[in-house]
Amino acid sequence: MKIESIRAAVRFAGLVLPFMWTSGSLAAQMRASAQASSYGVSVTTATVNQKSPSAVLPAGEMMATDQANAVTVDGLVSAQDAFAIVNGDLTDGSGAVSSATLGAVNILNGLITADGVVAMASSTVGSADAEGSSLSNLVVNGVSLSDPAPNTRVDLPGTGYVVLNEQIPTSGGITVNMIHVVLQQPVLDLLGGVTGYQTVGNIIVGSASSSM
Amino acid sequence: MSHLRSLASVTAIGAIALIAASCEANRQALAPTIGAPRFHFFVFACQPLKMTGGGRIDFPPGTADKNPPASHEYETFGAHVMSSGQTDANGVCLADKGALEWIDHRPEMRLNGSPLNLHATEIDFAELAVDTDCSDGAVHWGGKLRVQNNGQENLDFEVWDCDNGEPGVGHDGFAIRVNEPIDGIGDYAVMCPDPALPPAEPSCTLTGGNRQFHPTH
Repeated sequence: MKIESIRAAVRFAGLVLPFMWTSGSLAAQMRASAQASSYGVSVTTATVNQKSPSAVLPAGEMMATDQANAVTVDGLVSAQDAFAIVNGDLTDGSGAVSSATLGAVNILNGLITADGVVAMASSTVGSADAEGSSLSNLVVNGVSLSDPAPNTRVDLPGTGYVVLNEQIPTSGGITVNMIHVVLQQPVLDLLGGVTGYQTVGNIIVGSASSSM
Repeated sequence: MSHLRSLASVTAIGAIALIAASCEANRQALAPTIGAPRFHFFVFACQPLKMTGGGRIDFPPGTADKNPPASHEYETFGAHVMSSGQTDANGVCLADKGALEWIDHRPEMRLNGSPLNLHATEIDFAELAVDTDCSDGAVHWGGKLRVQNNGQENLDFEVWDCDNGEPGVGHDGFAIRVNEPIDGIGDYAVMCPDPALPPAEPSCTLTGGNRQFHPTH
């Protein structure tokens, strides 16, 4: 009788424990990859490393915000009325929404301008989107661009290129960068001929990321 | 015996007819009349709940379509609320915690040179709305806020918050009203009281983001 009870307990444990381990592992995996963040302006070059305003959802919290009336990185970018907001619950993996909004934006002394930028990233388990993102009155190198499609690339001769409405799928989510300027310099051979280009910096205006 | 069979058949047919007739009458009684207004957020229950997320509304008009970006006619926000379903002595369903950050980007709402920025300083109540079309859950909640542009404090506000499935854009809804005038602006509300607009008036349809309802926390 005792042996039968022990056998039954072992059978029960054998059936139930694997499921408990699996659900716990999935929850842990979900927490490990879940994140939500956003920022208004980021500049990375050999001499500059600046990001502002910036919000990152902390573990155990449900909202983070940051704001700047003006952001200026001399000669590279200026922006007005920048807000970064993230809200969600990463602990139960149910979803998160990140947004970055800006007013007037001027990049590289007028090479790129806009007067309204919205980056928005939403994710729930199994889905992510950048709906709600937009660019207002965007002008690139003197050309007006209305509502650029995701990942629209425009070359900037002598400077590099810009990716507009950049949407990058991530593990369980998405990152959207509304204006991403890649600064490049030519690589020259011994005779001064251009053999290629190397990236020397990045300017990102309006970025939102979220994943579950 | 054959009489009994006939009687049973007639009885069965009568019973089926009665059931069919009653079902038909019921269906008609429950179906809304086309074009007739349906109102929501009037019947509430106090129970544990949580709503999280953020989004964008293009108000006016507050439909699922974005306004032309050049118009700057949109609002963005992050907001959450939690309640354990406790009531105070007056029967108010208490909120445990919550937050709201609201930005109105419309040019006519700029105050002191910046977009109108409302920041909740306390969340007082949160009640489950049980009479809406919000498939996953709807919450009426509010508290007090500060106008970041001018420092005006302790203004009462309330929101109508709707999770109507996934994705949030085109489905979920959100509305806000500040119950006292904002200095320099006056009465302020972003509400969509058109019963024809999904998902449930007075909430406006999200054009970005997502609201996520959790039955308990």
